[in-house]
Amino acid sequence: MTNRRLVAYNEGMTFQQAAEAHLDDVYGYLVWFTSDRFAAEELTGTTFERALRLWDRFDPSRGSARTWLFQVARTVALDHFRSERRRLRREQLAAPPEAVEFRFADGLSPDVEAALGRLTAGEREVVALRVLLDLDAGAAARILGISPTNCTTRLNRALKKLEEALDVAA
Amino acid sequence: MSQRDLVAELRSAHVEAPDRLRQRVRLVAAAAPAPPRRFTWRRALVVAVPVVAAVAAAVVFARPASHEQQATPPTVRAAVEHGAAAQPRAASPSGALAVPSPLSRVQTVSETLSLRVRDVSGAVKRAVRVAMSFGGYATAVDAATTRTSGSADLTLKVPRAHVQAAIAELAQIGTIVAEHVDVTDRQAGLNATDRLIARLQKQLATLRAQNAPAAQIAALTQRIASLQRGEAATRRSAHYATIHLHLATPQPAAVHRSHHHGPLHGVAVALEWLGIGAVYALAIGVPVVLVLVLGWLAARLVRRRREDALLSRR
Repeated sequence: MTNRRLVAYNEGMTFQQAAEAHLDDVYGYLVWFTSDRFAAEELTGTTFERALRLWDRFDPSRGSARTWLFQVARTVALDHFRSERRRLRREQLAAPPEAVEFRFADGLSPDVEAALGRLTAGEREVVALRVLLDLDAGAAARILGISPTNCTTRLNRALKKLEEALDVAA
Repeated sequence: MSQRDLVAELRSAHVEAPDRLRQRVRLVAAAAPAPPRRFTWRRALVVAVPVVAAVAAAVVFARPASHEQQATPPTVRAAVEHGAAAQPRAASPSGALAVPSPLSRVQTVSETLSLRVRDVSGAVKRAVRVAMSFGGYATAVDAATTRTSGSADLTLKVPRAHVQAAIAELAQIGTIVAEHVDVTDRQAGLNATDRLIARLQKQLATLRAQNAPAAQIAALTQRIASLQRGEAATRRSAHYATIHLHLATPQPAAVHRSHHHGPLHGVAVALEWLGIGAVYALAIGVPVVLVLVLGWLAARLVRRRREDALLSRR
Protein backbone atom coordinates (compact mmCIF):
# COMPACT_ATOMS: atom_id res chain seq x y z
CA MET A 1 0.00 0.00 0.00
CA THR A 2 1.48 3.39 -0.95
CA ASN A 3 1.91 6.00 1.73
CA ARG A 4 -0.93 8.19 0.37
CA ARG A 5 -3.35 5.30 0.20
CA LEU A 6 -2.26 4.22 3.66
CA VAL A 7 -2.98 7.68 5.04
CA ALA A 8 -6.37 7.78 3.33
CA TYR A 9 -7.17 4.30 4.66
CA ASN A 10 -6.08 5.18 8.20
CA GLU A 11 -7.72 8.61 8.20
CA GLY A 12 -11.07 7.11 7.34
CA MET A 13 -10.77 4.58 10.17
CA THR A 14 -12.42 5.26 13.52
CA PHE A 15 -11.09 3.86 16.78
CA GLN A 16 -13.96 1.39 16.94
CA GLN A 17 -13.12 0.06 13.49
CA ALA A 18 -9.42 -0.19 14.32
CA ALA A 19 -10.16 -2.01 17.58
CA GLU A 20 -12.54 -4.44 15.89
CA ALA A 21 -10.13 -5.11 13.00
CA HIS A 22 -6.94 -5.61 15.01
CA LEU A 23 -8.10 -7.09 18.33
CA ASP A 24 -7.09 -10.67 17.45
CA ASP A 25 -3.69 -9.55 16.17
CA VAL A 26 -2.92 -7.53 19.29
CA TYR A 27 -4.08 -10.35 21.51
CA GLY A 28 -2.03 -12.93 19.54
CA TYR A 29 1.07 -10.72 19.72
CA LEU A 30 0.71 -10.36 23.49
CA VAL A 31 0.04 -14.09 23.96
CA TRP A 32 3.28 -14.96 22.19
CA PHE A 33 5.19 -12.13 23.82
CA THR A 34 4.14 -12.93 27.39
CA SER A 35 3.50 -16.66 26.95
CA ASP A 36 0.63 -16.15 29.36
CA ARG A 37 -2.97 -16.08 28.07
CA PHE A 38 -4.46 -14.54 31.20
CA ALA A 39 -1.84 -11.84 31.31
CA ALA A 40 -2.23 -11.30 27.54
CA GLU A 41 -6.00 -10.87 27.95
CA GLU A 42 -5.53 -8.30 30.69
CA LEU A 43 -2.79 -6.52 28.76
CA THR A 44 -4.90 -6.41 25.59
CA GLY A 45 -7.68 -4.66 27.49
CA THR A 46 -5.17 -2.22 28.96
CA THR A 47 -3.66 -1.69 25.51
CA PHE A 48 -6.97 -0.61 23.97
CA GLU A 49 -7.79 1.62 26.95
CA ARG A 50 -4.44 3.37 26.58
CA ALA A 51 -4.80 3.47 22.78
CA LEU A 52 -8.14 5.24 23.15
CA ARG A 53 -6.52 7.93 25.31
CA LEU A 54 -3.69 8.33 22.79
CA TRP A 55 -5.78 7.99 19.63
CA ASP A 56 -5.57 11.71 18.74
CA ARG A 57 -1.77 11.39 18.73
CA PHE A 58 -1.88 8.66 16.09
CA ASP A 59 -0.40 10.02 12.86
CA PRO A 60 -1.67 8.04 9.83
CA SER A 61 1.22 9.28 7.70
CA ARG A 62 3.77 7.52 9.91
CA GLY A 63 2.31 4.04 9.80
CA SER A 64 -0.82 1.94 9.94
CA ALA A 65 -3.17 1.79 12.91
CA ARG A 66 -2.22 -1.88 13.28
CA THR A 67 1.49 -1.05 13.69
CA TRP A 68 0.65 1.77 16.08
CA LEU A 69 -1.50 -0.56 18.21
CA PHE A 70 1.38 -3.04 18.37
CA GLN A 71 3.66 -0.23 19.60
CA VAL A 72 1.17 0.64 22.35
CA ALA A 73 0.82 -3.05 23.21
CA ARG A 74 4.59 -3.45 23.42
CA THR A 75 4.88 -0.51 25.87
CA VAL A 76 2.12 -2.05 27.99
CA ALA A 77 3.82 -5.45 27.87
CA LEU A 78 7.22 -4.04 28.86
CA ASP A 79 5.60 -2.30 31.85
CA HIS A 80 4.05 -5.67 32.71
CA PHE A 81 7.42 -7.45 32.43
CA ARG A 82 9.04 -4.92 34.74
CA SER A 83 6.36 -5.25 37.40
CA GLU A 84 6.43 -9.04 37.00
CA ARG A 85 10.19 -9.11 37.50
CA ARG A 86 9.85 -7.14 40.71
CA ARG A 87 7.01 -9.38 41.89
CA LEU A 88 8.94 -12.56 41.05
CA ARG A 89 11.99 -11.34 42.95
CA ARG A 90 9.85 -10.90 46.01
CA GLU A 91 7.88 -14.16 45.66
CA GLN A 92 10.78 -16.41 44.67
CA LEU A 93 12.21 -15.79 48.12
CA ALA A 94 9.11 -17.44 49.60
CA ALA A 95 8.24 -20.10 46.98
CA PRO A 96 9.38 -20.80 43.37
CA PRO A 97 6.64 -20.35 40.71
CA GLU A 98 4.81 -23.42 39.44
CA ALA A 99 5.03 -24.50 35.79
CA VAL A 100 1.68 -23.89 34.02
CA GLU A 101 0.33 -25.77 30.99
CA PHE A 102 0.21 -23.26 28.09
CA ARG A 103 -0.73 -23.21 24.39
CA PHE A 104 0.57 -20.43 22.15
CA ALA A 105 -1.93 -20.88 19.35
CA ASP A 106 -4.39 -23.23 17.73
CA GLY A 107 -2.95 -25.36 14.95
CA LEU A 108 0.56 -25.85 16.31
CA SER A 109 2.06 -29.26 16.97
CA PRO A 110 3.11 -30.03 20.58
CA ASP A 111 6.77 -30.09 19.47
CA VAL A 112 6.54 -26.59 18.03
CA GLU A 113 4.69 -25.40 21.15
CA ALA A 114 7.47 -26.87 23.29
CA ALA A 115 10.16 -25.35 21.09
CA LEU A 116 8.46 -21.94 21.29
CA GLY A 117 8.50 -22.29 25.07
CA ARG A 118 12.28 -22.51 24.95
CA LEU A 119 12.62 -19.14 23.24
CA THR A 120 13.11 -15.96 25.20
CA ALA A 121 10.40 -13.29 25.22
CA GLY A 122 12.44 -11.17 22.81
CA GLU A 123 12.82 -14.05 20.35
CA ARG A 124 9.13 -14.98 20.53
CA GLU A 125 8.24 -11.35 19.95
CA VAL A 126 10.16 -11.09 16.67
CA VAL A 127 8.76 -14.44 15.45
CA ALA A 128 5.24 -13.31 16.32
CA LEU A 129 5.60 -10.03 14.48
CA ARG A 130 7.34 -11.32 11.37
CA VAL A 131 5.83 -14.80 10.97
CA LEU A 132 2.54 -15.05 12.86
CA LEU A 133 1.36 -11.49 12.14
CA ASP A 134 3.22 -11.29 8.81
CA LEU A 135 4.64 -7.78 9.26
CA ASP A 136 7.39 -6.67 6.92
CA ALA A 137 10.87 -6.03 8.30
CA GLY A 138 10.44 -2.23 8.32
CA ALA A 139 7.20 -2.25 10.30
CA ALA A 140 8.47 -4.86 12.76
CA ALA A 141 11.71 -2.94 13.22
CA ARG A 142 9.75 0.26 13.95
CA ILE A 143 7.77 -1.53 16.67
CA LEU A 144 10.94 -2.98 18.20
CA GLY A 145 12.87 0.29 17.91
CA ILE A 146 15.72 -1.30 15.97
CA SER A 147 16.95 -1.30 12.36
CA PRO A 148 15.34 -3.64 9.78
CA THR A 149 18.66 -5.46 9.37
CA ASN A 150 18.87 -6.05 13.09
CA CYS A 151 15.26 -7.25 13.05
CA THR A 152 16.01 -9.78 10.29
CA THR A 153 19.08 -11.00 12.17
CA ARG A 154 17.03 -11.50 15.34
CA LEU A 155 14.39 -13.43 13.36
CA ASN A 156 16.96 -15.71 11.76
CA ARG A 157 18.54 -16.46 15.14
CA ALA A 158 15.14 -17.18 16.67
CA LEU A 159 14.12 -19.49 13.81
CA LYS A 160 17.46 -21.30 14.00
CA LYS A 161 16.98 -21.79 17.73
CA LEU A 162 13.47 -23.12 17.11
CA GLU A 163 14.81 -25.48 14.47
CA GLU A 164 17.52 -26.76 16.80
CA ALA A 165 15.00 -27.26 19.58
CA LEU A 166 12.79 -29.26 17.21
CA ASP A 167 15.74 -31.37 16.07
CA VAL A 168 16.62 -32.15 19.67
CA ALA A 169 13.01 -33.08 20.35
CA ALA A 170 12.93 -35.39 17.31
CA MET B 1 11.55 -30.22 10.28
CA SER B 2 12.98 -27.73 7.78
CA GLN B 3 12.83 -24.01 8.44
CA ARG B 4 10.37 -23.62 5.56
CA ASP B 5 7.97 -26.17 7.10
CA LEU B 6 8.42 -24.55 10.47
CA VAL B 7 7.53 -21.12 9.12
CA ALA B 8 4.55 -22.59 7.27
CA GLU B 9 3.27 -24.18 10.47
CA LEU B 10 3.79 -21.00 12.46
CA ARG B 11 1.92 -19.01 9.80
CA SER B 12 -0.98 -21.43 9.89
CA ALA B 13 -1.36 -20.89 13.62
CA HIS B 14 -4.28 -18.80 14.71
CA VAL B 15 -4.92 -16.92 17.92
CA GLU B 16 -8.42 -15.66 18.58
CA ALA B 17 -9.35 -13.29 21.35
CA PRO B 18 -11.86 -14.71 23.86
CA ASP B 19 -15.38 -13.30 23.80
CA ARG B 20 -15.11 -11.59 27.16
CA LEU B 21 -12.05 -9.69 25.93
CA ARG B 22 -13.88 -8.74 22.73
CA GLN B 23 -16.80 -7.42 24.77
CA ARG B 24 -14.45 -5.45 27.00
CA VAL B 25 -12.65 -3.85 24.06
CA ARG B 26 -15.98 -3.05 22.37
CA LEU B 27 -17.08 -1.28 25.54
CA VAL B 28 -13.83 0.67 25.59
CA ALA B 29 -14.16 1.57 21.90
CA ALA B 30 -17.79 2.65 22.36
CA ALA B 31 -16.56 5.40 24.67
CA ALA B 32 -14.45 6.84 21.86
CA PRO B 33 -15.56 10.38 20.89
CA ALA B 34 -16.18 11.41 17.29
CA PRO B 35 -12.84 11.98 15.57
CA PRO B 36 -12.01 15.69 15.54
CA ARG B 37 -10.55 17.27 12.46
CA ARG B 38 -6.89 16.42 12.65
CA PHE B 39 -4.21 19.06 12.76
CA THR B 40 -1.40 18.12 10.42
CA TRP B 41 1.73 20.03 9.53
CA ARG B 42 0.85 19.75 5.86
CA ARG B 43 -2.53 21.45 6.42
CA ALA B 44 -0.88 24.11 8.57
CA LEU B 45 1.75 24.74 5.90
CA VAL B 46 -0.88 25.09 3.17
CA VAL B 47 -2.32 28.02 5.15
CA ALA B 48 0.85 29.42 6.70
CA VAL B 49 3.12 29.57 3.64
CA PRO B 50 0.87 31.83 1.50
CA VAL B 51 0.15 34.07 4.51
CA VAL B 52 3.84 34.48 5.33
CA ALA B 53 4.66 35.09 1.65
CA ALA B 54 1.92 37.73 1.38
CA VAL B 55 3.07 39.50 4.55
CA ALA B 56 6.71 39.44 3.41
CA ALA B 57 5.76 40.79 -0.02
CA ALA B 58 3.67 43.54 1.56
CA VAL B 59 6.53 44.55 3.85
CA VAL B 60 9.10 44.55 1.05
CA PHE B 61 7.07 46.34 -1.63
CA ALA B 62 4.98 48.70 0.51
CA ARG B 63 8.11 50.09 2.14
CA PRO B 64 9.28 53.26 0.33
CA ALA B 65 12.61 52.86 -1.38
CA SER B 66 15.51 54.44 0.50
CA HIS B 67 16.56 56.64 -2.42
CA GLU B 68 13.05 58.15 -2.55
CA GLN B 69 13.22 58.97 1.14
CA GLN B 70 16.63 60.59 0.88
CA ALA B 71 16.27 62.30 -2.47
CA THR B 72 15.48 65.74 -0.97
CA PRO B 73 17.82 66.14 2.03
CA PRO B 74 21.02 67.11 0.12
CA THR B 75 19.18 69.99 -1.57
CA VAL B 76 17.54 71.00 1.68
CA ARG B 77 20.82 70.77 3.52
CA ALA B 78 22.58 72.90 0.92
CA ALA B 79 19.81 75.46 1.13
CA VAL B 80 20.03 75.55 4.90
CA GLU B 81 23.76 75.93 4.85
CA HIS B 82 23.52 78.67 2.33
CA GLY B 83 20.70 80.33 4.24
CA ALA B 84 22.73 80.21 7.44
CA ALA B 85 25.70 81.76 5.72
CA ALA B 86 23.55 84.53 4.27
CA GLN B 87 21.66 85.24 7.46
CA PRO B 88 23.93 87.86 9.08
CA ARG B 89 24.05 90.15 6.07
CA ALA B 90 22.04 90.76 2.93
CA ALA B 91 22.70 88.49 -0.03
CA SER B 92 23.34 89.71 -3.58
CA PRO B 93 21.27 88.33 -6.49
CA SER B 94 24.10 85.84 -7.16
CA GLY B 95 23.80 84.48 -3.63
CA ALA B 96 27.15 85.92 -2.47
CA LEU B 97 27.37 88.25 0.51
CA ALA B 98 27.22 91.95 -0.40
CA VAL B 99 28.88 94.14 2.20
CA PRO B 100 28.69 97.86 1.41
CA SER B 101 32.05 99.52 1.60
CA PRO B 102 31.83 103.30 0.94
CA LEU B 103 34.63 104.51 -1.30
CA SER B 104 34.74 107.85 0.51
CA ARG B 105 36.38 106.05 3.44
CA VAL B 106 39.60 104.10 3.47
CA GLN B 107 38.83 100.50 4.38
CA THR B 108 40.62 97.17 3.94
CA VAL B 109 38.31 94.49 2.62
CA SER B 110 39.17 90.79 2.82
CA GLU B 111 36.80 88.15 1.56
CA THR B 112 37.10 84.36 1.75
CA LEU B 113 34.94 82.40 -0.63
CA SER B 114 34.69 78.58 -0.87
CA LEU B 115 33.09 77.19 -3.99
CA ARG B 116 32.19 73.69 -5.07
CA VAL B 117 33.02 73.30 -8.77
CA ARG B 118 33.05 70.43 -11.26
CA ASP B 119 36.23 71.43 -13.11
CA VAL B 120 38.90 72.93 -10.88
CA SER B 121 41.29 73.77 -13.72
CA GLY B 122 38.65 75.65 -15.71
CA ALA B 123 37.40 77.41 -12.58
CA VAL B 124 40.90 78.66 -11.73
CA LYS B 125 41.30 80.16 -15.21
CA ARG B 126 37.88 81.75 -15.05
CA ALA B 127 38.53 83.22 -11.57
CA VAL B 128 41.80 84.82 -12.73
CA ARG B 129 40.03 86.20 -15.80
CA VAL B 130 37.30 87.71 -13.57
CA ALA B 131 39.93 89.38 -11.36
CA MET B 132 41.74 90.79 -14.39
CA SER B 133 38.54 92.02 -15.99
CA PHE B 134 37.98 94.27 -12.96
CA GLY B 135 41.54 95.58 -13.06
CA GLY B 136 42.75 93.14 -10.48
CA TYR B 137 45.33 90.33 -10.45
CA ALA B 138 46.17 87.03 -8.79
CA THR B 139 48.86 87.11 -6.13
CA ALA B 140 48.91 83.37 -5.42
CA VAL B 141 47.48 80.31 -7.12
CA ASP B 142 47.81 76.82 -5.63
CA ALA B 143 45.90 74.10 -7.51
CA ALA B 144 46.03 70.33 -7.33
CA THR B 145 43.88 67.83 -9.20
CA THR B 146 43.62 64.06 -9.41
CA ARG B 147 41.49 61.85 -11.66
CA THR B 148 38.47 62.04 -9.42
CA SER B 149 38.93 65.19 -7.33
CA GLY B 150 40.72 68.49 -7.21
CA SER B 151 41.10 71.69 -5.23
CA ALA B 152 42.69 75.10 -5.62
CA ASP B 153 43.43 78.11 -3.42
CA LEU B 154 43.74 81.53 -5.05
CA THR B 155 44.50 84.93 -3.59
CA LEU B 156 43.11 87.67 -5.81
CA LYS B 157 43.48 91.42 -5.57
CA VAL B 158 40.55 93.38 -7.00
CA PRO B 159 39.97 97.15 -6.82
CA ARG B 160 37.70 97.85 -3.88
CA ALA B 161 35.34 99.73 -6.14
CA HIS B 162 34.59 96.52 -8.07
CA VAL B 163 34.81 93.96 -5.30
CA GLN B 164 31.04 93.41 -5.09
CA ALA B 165 30.79 92.85 -8.82
CA ALA B 166 33.84 90.58 -8.78
CA ILE B 167 32.46 88.49 -5.93
CA ALA B 168 29.14 88.23 -7.75
CA GLU B 169 30.87 86.92 -10.87
CA LEU B 170 33.15 84.59 -8.94
CA ALA B 171 30.10 83.13 -7.21
CA GLN B 172 28.81 82.13 -10.66
CA ILE B 173 31.77 79.80 -11.15
CA GLY B 174 30.38 77.21 -8.74
CA THR B 175 28.18 76.63 -5.73
CA ILE B 176 28.98 78.66 -2.63
CA VAL B 177 29.92 76.37 0.23
CA ALA B 178 31.18 79.01 2.69
CA GLU B 179 31.85 82.71 2.68
CA HIS B 180 33.54 85.12 5.04
CA VAL B 181 33.87 88.90 4.71
CA ASP B 182 36.16 91.09 6.81
CA VAL B 183 36.02 94.89 6.48
CA THR B 184 38.32 97.08 8.61
CA ASP B 185 37.95 100.84 8.57
CA ARG B 186 41.33 102.70 8.34
CA GLN B 187 39.89 106.19 7.92
CA ALA B 188 40.08 107.20 11.59
CA GLY B 189 43.75 106.18 11.80
CA LEU B 190 44.53 108.12 8.61
CA ASN B 191 42.77 111.22 9.91
CA ALA B 192 44.83 111.07 13.10
CA THR B 193 48.01 110.68 11.05
CA ASP B 194 46.99 113.68 8.91
CA ARG B 195 46.53 115.78 12.01
CA LEU B 196 49.88 114.64 13.38
CA ILE B 197 51.63 115.48 10.08
CA ALA B 198 50.00 118.97 10.04
CA ARG B 199 51.14 119.59 13.59
CA LEU B 200 54.68 118.41 12.79
CA GLN B 201 54.78 120.61 9.67
CA LYS B 202 53.80 123.64 11.77
CA GLN B 203 56.51 122.73 14.25
CA LEU B 204 59.00 122.38 11.38
CA ALA B 205 58.07 125.87 10.05
CA THR B 206 58.59 127.34 13.53
CA LEU B 207 62.01 125.68 13.86
CA ARG B 208 63.07 127.02 10.47
CA ALA B 209 61.89 130.54 11.45
CA GLN B 210 63.92 130.38 14.68
CA ASN B 211 67.01 129.08 12.78
CA ALA B 212 67.09 125.95 14.86
CA PRO B 213 69.98 123.51 14.48
CA ALA B 214 70.02 121.69 11.12
CA ALA B 215 70.04 118.24 12.77
CA GLN B 216 66.80 118.92 14.64
CA ILE B 217 65.13 120.17 11.44
CA ALA B 218 66.37 117.12 9.48
CA ALA B 219 65.02 114.68 12.12
CA LEU B 220 61.61 116.31 12.09
CA THR B 221 61.55 116.37 8.30
CA GLN B 222 62.44 112.64 8.22
CA ARG B 223 59.65 111.80 10.66
CA ILE B 224 57.09 113.69 8.60
CA ALA B 225 58.23 111.92 5.43
CA SER B 226 57.97 108.53 7.19
CA LEU B 227 54.42 109.24 8.35
CA GLN B 228 53.45 110.34 4.86
CA ARG B 229 54.91 107.14 3.34
CA GLY B 230 52.99 105.00 5.81
CA GLU B 231 49.79 106.85 5.04
CA ALA B 232 50.31 106.40 1.31
CA ALA B 233 50.95 102.67 1.78
CA THR B 234 47.72 102.26 3.76
CA ARG B 235 45.75 104.09 1.06
CA ARG B 236 47.36 101.91 -1.63
CA SER B 237 46.60 98.67 0.18
CA ALA B 238 43.04 99.79 0.82
CA HIS B 239 42.58 100.44 -2.86
CA TYR B 240 42.57 96.67 -3.49
CA ALA B 241 40.35 94.16 -1.74
CA THR B 242 41.82 90.71 -1.08
CA ILE B 243 39.75 87.73 -2.13
CA HIS B 244 40.79 84.27 -0.87
CA LEU B 245 39.10 81.83 -3.17
CA HIS B 246 38.95 78.10 -2.37
CA LEU B 247 37.73 75.84 -5.14
CA ALA B 248 37.05 72.13 -4.68
CA THR B 249 35.26 69.34 -6.51
CA PRO B 250 32.44 67.51 -4.69
CA GLN B 251 33.69 64.71 -2.42
CA PRO B 252 33.10 61.29 -4.03
CA ALA B 253 31.14 60.25 -1.01
CA ALA B 254 30.74 56.57 -0.32
CA VAL B 255 27.62 57.61 1.55
CA HIS B 256 25.89 58.33 -1.74
CA ARG B 257 26.09 54.69 -2.67
CA SER B 258 24.13 53.66 0.39
CA HIS B 259 21.48 56.24 -0.51
CA HIS B 260 20.53 54.28 -3.62
CA HIS B 261 19.03 51.22 -2.04
CA GLY B 262 16.91 48.92 -4.13
CA PRO B 263 13.49 47.67 -3.03
CA LEU B 264 15.06 44.44 -1.77
CA HIS B 265 17.58 46.23 0.46
CA GLY B 266 15.45 45.45 3.53
CA VAL B 267 15.49 41.77 2.66
CA ALA B 268 19.27 41.87 2.26
CA VAL B 269 19.68 43.54 5.65
CA ALA B 270 17.33 41.02 7.24
CA LEU B 271 19.27 38.16 5.64
CA GLU B 272 22.53 39.66 6.86
CA TRP B 273 21.23 39.76 10.41
CA LEU B 274 19.80 36.29 10.05
CA GLY B 275 23.25 35.14 8.92
CA ILE B 276 24.87 36.75 11.96
CA GLY B 277 22.24 35.16 14.17
CA ALA B 278 22.81 31.81 12.50
CA VAL B 279 26.55 32.00 13.17
CA TYR B 280 25.91 32.78 16.85
CA ALA B 281 23.29 30.04 17.05
CA LEU B 282 25.73 27.58 15.48
CA ALA B 283 28.56 28.60 17.78
CA ILE B 284 26.39 28.22 20.88
CA GLY B 285 23.93 25.63 19.64
CA VAL B 286 26.26 23.02 18.15
CA PRO B 287 27.96 22.09 21.45
CA VAL B 288 24.59 22.04 23.21
CA VAL B 289 23.04 19.90 20.48
CA LEU B 290 26.10 17.61 20.54
CA VAL B 291 25.76 17.09 24.29
CA LEU B 292 22.02 16.50 23.95
CA VAL B 293 22.56 13.98 21.13
CA LEU B 294 25.22 12.15 23.11
CA GLY B 295 22.94 12.11 26.14
CA TRP B 296 20.08 10.80 24.06
CA LEU B 297 22.29 8.08 22.53
CA ALA B 298 23.54 7.05 25.98
CA ALA B 299 19.98 6.94 27.34
CA ARG B 300 18.86 4.87 24.35
CA LEU B 301 21.76 2.46 24.82
CA VAL B 302 20.95 2.00 28.49
CA ARG B 303 17.25 1.54 27.71
CA ARG B 304 18.04 -1.08 25.03
CA ARG B 305 20.34 -2.99 27.36
CA ARG B 306 17.72 -3.03 30.08
CA GLU B 307 15.05 -4.04 27.59
CA ASP B 308 17.22 -6.86 26.22
CA ALA B 309 17.87 -8.07 29.74
CA LEU B 310 14.16 -7.94 30.47
CA LEU B 311 13.25 -9.89 27.33
CA SER B 312 15.99 -12.47 27.62
CA ARG B 313 13.91 -14.59 30.00
CA ARG B 314 11.63 -17.35 28.74
